[in-house]
Amino acid sequence: MVKYTPSIVVAGIAAALMGCQDNGPQKEKVTIEKNPYPSTYKAVPSRSTLITNATVLTGTGDKIEQGDVFIVDGKIQQVGKDLSVTADTTIDAQGKWVTPGIIDVHSHLGAYPSPSVESHSDGNEIVNPNTSQVWVEHSVWPQDPGFNRAREGGITTLQILPGSANLFGGRGVTLKNVPAPTMQAMKFPDAPYGLKMACGENPKRVYGSKGVAPYTRMGNMAGYREAWIEAGEYKRAWEQYEAEYAAGLNPDAPKRDIKLDTLRGVLDGEILIHNHCYKAEEMAMMIDLSKEFGYHAGTFHHGIEAYKVADLLAENGNCAALWPDWWGFKMEAYDMVQENVAIVDAVKNSCAVVHSDSGTTIQRLNHEASKVMNTANQSGFNISEQHAIKWITANAAKSLGIQDKTGSLELGKQADVVIWNTNPFSVYSQAEQVFIDGGKVYDRNDEKYQAVSDFMLGQK
Amino acid sequence: MKTMKLAMITSALLAHSAAFAEVTAITNATLHTATAEGVIEGATLLIENGKIKAINPNNINADVTIDASGKIITPGFIGSMNQLGLVEVGAVAASRDAGDDAAGIDFDASTAFNPRSSLIAYARKGGVTQNLVTPWGGKSEFAGLGFVVDLSGTFDSVTDRQSALVIHLGAKSEGSRAKSLDNVVKKLASHQEKQNKKDDKDKAKPTAEEQVLTQVLAGEMPVIASVSRASDILEVIKVKEQFGLDLIIKGANDAVLVADELAKANVPVILSAVSNLPSSFDSMHASLDNAGKLEKAGVKVILSIGGDGSHNVYQLRFDAGIAVANGMSHAGALKAITANPAAALGIDGGVIEVGKRADIVMWSADPFEFSTTIDKIWINGEEVSTESRHDKLRDRYTTDSDMPRAYTK
Repeated sequence: MVKYTPSIVVAGIAAALMGCQDNGPQKEKVTIEKNPYPSTYKAVPSRSTLITNATVLTGTGDKIEQGDVFIVDGKIQQVGKDLSVTADTTIDAQGKWVTPGIIDVHSHLGAYPSPSVESHSDGNEIVNPNTSQVWVEHSVWPQDPGFNRAREGGITTLQILPGSANLFGGRGVTLKNVPAPTMQAMKFPDAPYGLKMACGENPKRVYGSKGVAPYTRMGNMAGYREAWIEAGEYKRAWEQYEAEYAAGLNPDAPKRDIKLDTLRGVLDGEILIHNHCYKAEEMAMMIDLSKEFGYHAGTFHHGIEAYKVADLLAENGNCAALWPDWWGFKMEAYDMVQENVAIVDAVKNSCAVVHSDSGTTIQRLNHEASKVMNTANQSGFNISEQHAIKWITANAAKSLGIQDKTGSLELGKQADVVIWNTNPFSVYSQAEQVFIDGGKVYDRNDEKYQAVSDFMLGQK
Repeated sequence: MKTMKLAMITSALLAHSAAFAEVTAITNATLHTATAEGVIEGATLLIENGKIKAINPNNINADVTIDASGKIITPGFIGSMNQLGLVEVGAVAASRDAGDDAAGIDFDASTAFNPRSSLIAYARKGGVTQNLVTPWGGKSEFAGLGFVVDLSGTFDSVTDRQSALVIHLGAKSEGSRAKSLDNVVKKLASHQEKQNKKDDKDKAKPTAEEQVLTQVLAGEMPVIASVSRASDILEVIKVKEQFGLDLIIKGANDAVLVADELAKANVPVILSAVSNLPSSFDSMHASLDNAGKLEKAGVKVILSIGGDGSHNVYQLRFDAGIAVANGMSHAGALKAITANPAAALGIDGGVIEVGKRADIVMWSADPFEFSTTIDKIWINGEEVSTESRHDKLRDRYTTDSDMPRAYTK
């Protein structure tokens, strides 16, 4: 949150007083509704549930052998061994593993859904390098069969982001992965919005090839800076309006601009940056850019070269959301190392996240984390399962600003829980039962809990 | 001049034979043969001159003996349907050679194969020793010729330049799929007609395209048809029967609907084990359990990496594991990345059998599991490394130094 010193506010009021003609009764104050498409999410019905005798990875770095998890009223009530509690339902999870629900911070489900037909290609407003005015939630098709596939892989929460063709791609939205007829009914209550930004090749290729800025990486930087300058002016104008109004004056409200509303939300610390950014030198510049304009640079997504600036990311409190092994599809993805996540993670105060950006790998983020853990351990790291699970649970929740609500099995957290048939770091592992807010939303062995999209229903 | 040439050849032969003269014995091995022999415990495997010389011989007379106690030995894995060696960076046009607008039946991209590509060493990390490289093609439904390479990284990596004819059928963004199929049928029919004509003057000098079609019609060169919808697969099977093609179906997302027909027609299927989204109306039955269902129906399944299969072919073993988790047998999944592609594409290798090419991988444990590592890997009987530039980068950024990292090499 950027705060303005009193002297600036006073100067603003003084300037306004001199220029203000209308001293009559105050008009109704213009306020900006920050949540015009509110969540209508309701958890599926749940009963108090006790899961017993499982190997529990808590998401806080602990592993409990023969552990129990007790869920009451959709919340984690207790985690430990030999809990003596009474539950409506008891699940004997002997031989099975339990983890927090898996969180993917980078998905395009619903916006680039299956089938990938033109009519559903709603993920990127590729008409201007700055489309901060678009909200990807307005593109989400809740019937995307990919949501169901992801849930069958243990995904309970996911952030949908717009695409990366633009310097500013628009707002992302965090969803609870429940089957629902509307986006609002999936919307994660009280999760902050994200703003998608993109570095590097994509914006300059898309717009440069049209003869429009940016044409180069320096053009990218100029585009961000110009936008933040405008956003700063917009923020000041509204703050001035609010201050004058509060002082009993009758000022005219600034002209509303939904593009700048979003950027201002970032400057106010209410909207979190999610920045598609592959290269070390670009991440370093994006951090400086954020300091230049007084916001936090947020999470770097895809960060193929994050390992080259791991210290810098940790020092500045940036999460890095990464793949275990994608590479080579473009020049900025050439310097991949399979230990990228592990190298970022090894620094004190780091926030390493494994993400998918894929309707396929979102179904197996546990496998994606396993690839990193195993490859890294083979080259000298010493990463445990209870630690690696954080990359797809607690750290992901932190990246999305919902770490106080989900991402670990701790007292009072939302009971987003997965029961796995075996160690989730095994290639043979599968999610057997998935719970969101304590309600069972998937059961591999019970068709009653296997959701089918409207689109797939009755297809032959 | 002649003498010099001979000297060069001799020295080259010597360099080769120095390595090849050795007999390597791998002892106490658990051999996953990918043949009817199944798994052989406590076995000894002899390698000589790039070939598997013996399994459990009476006498072990080896230059090098490797104790494989507790290890698992498999054939090297075989990738397929990717552009390994034809693309370095996907979005860098000048590093791509897999497609050309003018590509057609006789498009042979094997001359563009780069064995020094950084993708090759990386692919070896997954135990991949051979690969069917396929062109993207161009505007025609005939994409061109697939060719087989080994992953030794040497300049003689291409082992067969004309391994299969690749055609693209099914859903189109413009026009009708019926027209594509019709083009293929007419092309085959017209060549067949020409062949049947007696005393055709042109017969003596067949064009490159005609040479390919002749092999195709003789059933000597497999035809890989990319197609997913069940009704399309049945149409292509009809074409196979009409012309006697050696047909392989690739993509095959809805192949489960016609599994019995595929088995009966003896048509192998190349698919991605993780393709389970209805990405188009041709793929409404894509599912993780398709590989296992096809196996049970008696279809020869070949697993291949979907999406960017060139940079990611090392993941083949993980996809095999996922297929097993979803109903395929472990032995079947191993065959799907070894014996089955070898048999379908006429590749020497893919099995542990006397006389076969010695592409061998020694694993610390179950080759499909994430925690398993490669202890040793041989291509054509020679031990090769799994190190790639990715490891160099990792080491550079995890090694402390007072100097800038550019000095860490």
